[in-house]
Amino acid sequence: MFKKYLSYKDLFWQLTFREIKARYKQSVLGYAWAILVPLLNLLVLSIVFSYVFRVPTGNIPYPIFLFVALVPWMFTTNALTFATGSVLANSSLITKVKLPREILPVSAMSAKLIDLGLTSIILLFFLIIYHISLTPNLFFVPIIFLVQLALTFGMGFILSATNVFFRDVENILGIFLTIWMYLTPILYSSVLIPENLKLLFYLNPMTGLIDAYRATVLYGHLPDWSSFLYSVIFSVLILIIGRSYFRKRSRYFADVI
Amino acid sequence: MTSVIEFKKVSKKFNRGKRHYLKQALIDLFKSNKDEDFWALKDISFKIQKGESVGIIGVNGSGKSTILKLIAGVLFPTKGEVKVEGRIGPLIELGAGFHPELSGRDNIYLNGVVLGLSRKEIEEKFDEIVSFAELADFIDTPVKHYSSGMYMRLGFSVAVHVNPDILLIDEILAVGDIAFQKKCLDKLGEFQKKGATMVLISHSMELINNLCQKAIFIEDGKVKAIGTPGSVTTKYLKYIKNKS
Repeated sequence: MFKKYLSYKDLFWQLTFREIKARYKQSVLGYAWAILVPLLNLLVLSIVFSYVFRVPTGNIPYPIFLFVALVPWMFTTNALTFATGSVLANSSLITKVKLPREILPVSAMSAKLIDLGLTSIILLFFLIIYHISLTPNLFFVPIIFLVQLALTFGMGFILSATNVFFRDVENILGIFLTIWMYLTPILYSSVLIPENLKLLFYLNPMTGLIDAYRATVLYGHLPDWSSFLYSVIFSVLILIIGRSYFRKRSRYFADVI
Repeated sequence: MTSVIEFKKVSKKFNRGKRHYLKQALIDLFKSNKDEDFWALKDISFKIQKGESVGIIGVNGSGKSTILKLIAGVLFPTKGEVKVEGRIGPLIELGAGFHPELSGRDNIYLNGVVLGLSRKEIEEKFDEIVSFAELADFIDTPVKHYSSGMYMRLGFSVAVHVNPDILLIDEILAVGDIAFQKKCLDKLGEFQKKGATMVLISHSMELINNLCQKAIFIEDGKVKAIGTPGSVTTKYLKYIKNKS
């Protein structure tokens, strides 16, 4: 199985490269947008939630508290938005050439890793500016990110395949992502969740992940194992289910496109 | 002789309705929609030998393109079995997957890997592809600025340089000017000499007679006649005459 994917390595790179290259070709600022949009988001949200609503964040300044969660969150949002339309956007390939169709959402989402890389550099600057002491626990960040990647890819598979049959998915996605964001402790700290609702909030696998990012990056702690482990199991399951669902549905893509 | 393409009692069903919206799917739940089913192919069987050139003829909507797509592996049969062996070069809607914002150069790489070449193989054939397409001067221009002829030429050039075992051709020889058409035909002849298998859809009986050793006449999703191009095209023309 692995060998089969290896032979599509070049195809994967070309498709991903196409997305990256074509993305900002027409815009004057080009890839600067990948940084400007999150920065503007950060600015507005920081003003609203630290001056107007005054969300308590302990001894961590609100902007950096927010940014640590916002950077990974924006990756998932962008990747899912982009993945959802990826199969339809390549309908000319679907109806003409035989290729493993998984490669379409996968390369669409992978192209978003560039944006994530750029914003992560900005995040690193912020961490230094705000004098956040970095500890060896930072090495957990890639592991947390792998879990997030599994969750995102799994969902991307499901959304992109379903969107071929029901174009409503594109419309629902925006509102779904907004609701998901508010139900995840991104703008606020998970400490603020009322005790009787805690269980409900932690059913959301993103809660455990965001908590883990904050624990390792901002506080130099290890992740809270119970919620993190739940996120791991949930994400891996979604990835497995999503991929097999995508494969089953992909047989009928060319029928309806 | 071994058969490289084999259709065993193949049927293909499509859904006539467009259930692309949730609303329609919900409505469909409550009413049966048997009449929405549409059988594009009904119980089709045939074999194509290695090195054979086969023409498929029939009126519009008879199921010709569905057969080609089943061979290409983009559609799957509802019933029956489709067996295909070898690398496929689809000359169907040339330039599938070209990205308008990217240059001709980038698109050659993109289209090449889509058709199954590795990056290295494309690098080796790059100059040949460009010179066959006669686009050396425009290779770094975004393809959205290409004329439709240039677009097709590039698509054709990449597709034939894949070195396919099986060429699928869907009415594309209307590409470009007469000189380029001749070049395309010569290239196809070259492939035939090399022992490649060809399946082509065309409304030009002349082309079928000249290029093919065998023809299949499809009507309403069924094989109506199969045999030498001469006899099959005669039957087809007679059928058209009777119909009108």
